[in-house]
Amino acid sequence: MEGGVRITRMSREVATRVDESLGATGRVHSVFERAINLEWPDGRLLALHGPGPLLSPFAAAVDHVGPLRSLRVGIPVTIEPRGLVAGAVVLTSRQAEVIECSVEASRYLAEPPPRHLLDWRGRHSSSLDSASGVSARALLAAGIRQHDVTRLIAGAEALLGLGEGLTPSGDDCLVGALAVLHYVDGAWLRRPGPPVLEPITQAARERTTAVGHEFVRHAIDGRFSEPVLAVLRAVSPDDHRQAVSCLLRLGATSGADTLSGMRLACRSLAA
Amino acid sequence: MALATLVRRGSYHDSVTLLNLARALRVWPSVREVAVVMGTPANRDLLARASLLTAEAATATANDLVVVVDADSAAIAEDAAASVESRLVERALRRGDRRGGRPRTVASAARRMPEANLALISVPGAFAALEARRALRAGLHVMLFSDNVSLDDELALKRLAIERDLLLMGPDCGTAYVGGVPLGFANVVPRGPVGIVAASGTGLQQVAALLAGLGHGISHAIGVGGRDMGAAVGGLMTLSGLDLLGRDPATEIIIVIGKPPAPEVAERVQSRLRAIGKPAVVCLLGAGLSEGTEASITTVATLEAAALAANATLTKSAWRPRAFSEPDARRRIAEARRELAPGQASVLGLYAGGTLAHESLLILEPLLGPVSSNLVDRPGSQGLAGHRVLDLGADEFTVGRAHPMLNPTARVEAIREASGRSELAVLLLDVVLGHGAADDPAGDLADAIQTMRAQARGAGLGLAVVATVVGTSGDPQGLAAQIARLESVGAWVLPSNAQAARAAACIAGGEPVLDSLLGRSRARS
Repeated sequence: MEGGVRITRMSREVATRVDESLGATGRVHSVFERAINLEWPDGRLLALHGPGPLLSPFAAAVDHVGPLRSLRVGIPVTIEPRGLVAGAVVLTSRQAEVIECSVEASRYLAEPPPRHLLDWRGRHSSSLDSASGVSARALLAAGIRQHDVTRLIAGAEALLGLGEGLTPSGDDCLVGALAVLHYVDGAWLRRPGPPVLEPITQAARERTTAVGHEFVRHAIDGRFSEPVLAVLRAVSPDDHRQAVSCLLRLGATSGADTLSGMRLACRSLAA
Repeated sequence: MALATLVRRGSYHDSVTLLNLARALRVWPSVREVAVVMGTPANRDLLARASLLTAEAATATANDLVVVVDADSAAIAEDAAASVESRLVERALRRGDRRGGRPRTVASAARRMPEANLALISVPGAFAALEARRALRAGLHVMLFSDNVSLDDELALKRLAIERDLLLMGPDCGTAYVGGVPLGFANVVPRGPVGIVAASGTGLQQVAALLAGLGHGISHAIGVGGRDMGAAVGGLMTLSGLDLLGRDPATEIIIVIGKPPAPEVAERVQSRLRAIGKPAVVCLLGAGLSEGTEASITTVATLEAAALAANATLTKSAWRPRAFSEPDARRRIAEARRELAPGQASVLGLYAGGTLAHESLLILEPLLGPVSSNLVDRPGSQGLAGHRVLDLGADEFTVGRAHPMLNPTARVEAIREASGRSELAVLLLDVVLGHGAADDPAGDLADAIQTMRAQARGAGLGLAVVATVVGTSGDPQGLAAQIARLESVGAWVLPSNAQAARAAACIAGGEPVLDSLLGRSRARS
């Protein structure tokens, strides 16, 4: 069948969207060589990419991406009983494996910081070493280290939208830091008192790209891509190496910038 | 410091693409700094701190792609920024994300794009006729990029095309523009009033690029294949192309480019042009041509003259051919000659463009005497001594490797081989830019040129390198940057191939040639 594509794996978020939004019509938001993004009327995104780990918490992996490349930006996408329908392409999800992308689903109480991240020696993108980047990271680190809400938010806001890439390097760094915070110190993020996460959500809406915003919104809620979760869950040195290597392959510098944020949070928590 | 900005609104590209774009720009000569970022507030602040926030960049929003280039000159900065647009469009076209994906047959492509009316066929010659026939039967015009199509097949395909009121451009058609869309090897030129029928790819590119530099665009440019104007094919597609341009209201002037046709075809072309009645310029590169205008048809002897004559018609101005458009050409020639040692008096032309090589041959021989070449079939034409012009795109140089417009290997090897020639005075080159050409053709040659000049100096000799760059400011490689790259290794870059060939002749031949050229030029103007 020309245009038939099977969704093999999808995040819990995507599964919920598909199950609960029958009849909803979105549009193709952006088309890349190996992935496309769909946008729903509420402004949220759904990413479709080829087989393998879910590269975002709002992603579904399909068996082959070839037919997706024929889709044009702007064409309607409808959720029908037979699947997602975009032009001549029908994406069926009936037998797809549903993946939990929440940190909560894989953490135990009182997890220690993943120590192997302290030793990671990789390089992040140069924009994180700009004056703005250095200052933003210092604020974020101080906020995490001292449980200082004001500085943590200021650091996060300064990182949003900073640097190269469709998901700017600053966003990736912030997502990495939030992954470790949720994993190690999630209770503090959600404790009563001055809110930490809501101001960051608000800032992301105004200060970064649509795709960066989607990543940050999920990170605020504790949901991350499978490569990020694999780094958090790695136990043995071999697991560490494999997980880090997988994450580093993301984008031009996205993986390295995410790892940089994870290391920043680990070091701050360990200080 | 000169800044140029490109803002693409709502433009999403993956980070690897953006990084590669930035890397590609950073290696341009004279480019100091490059920013390729999304227009978020944080990035606009970064640009401001780096003194790169232009007024246009300041208007960008978080979902806009912003490219800012800082270069030594405004022309290079603008070329570099414009090249990003070209690269992104090319990438999108390669990915097939406009419509229809990547079809595997002409028929499935036609089904996916029912509004399409043209097929570009580039398959091995043995299969090309079959695919072209299928496309014509599906009602599609055909650009047949493939070579090695038999004469019988060419005739049959062109007759089938005429039956169906379609065009069969080719075979071996490397360049065309249809409705403003460049096909094959093509420079980025504006749309405009000039229609072209050409049996020559690089000839078409030279004329289109020169016209673009003069501010004129192309309505359509129809490639017909190198054999079309011969007796066997009888000008079938040339005449069809002329009819099409004659009916096209956007075409105000017609240029015909090729090599000398069979006499009966020449008469048919002239007769058809007279019947169409639009102003026309005929440039059929051959020996002993006399330039002049009869009724509405102007005959010219060089590609540059074709562009100048068309410009004169469009601007209603006098046509004033000159040997050189640069006022200090005589001084530069004298400087180049001063560096030569006694006995250095020969020219070596190493060309990627076959028609450009042919044009140089026609210019050099009357000025310098016999020139050996792989383009002419006569005794002694392959000799090593004396003047020589090689078309390195010819079959004997491209067996097992890509055309020199894509792969510099053959030309770099030829430059190395020539390095020991003590009688060599001038190395004459062309560099062709545009869609389909190499990413950095001038850069590909620069090291070899530099080494050759250094070796000559080490041997107590001089060596002049004279070149032309066929390109426009919109080309992905950047015209100004490519010229600057050649100049950085001591090349003298002239605005047309004809001028480059004349300059080479003057350097090798000295004052007698220079006086004869400038004297003749003064007499005609």
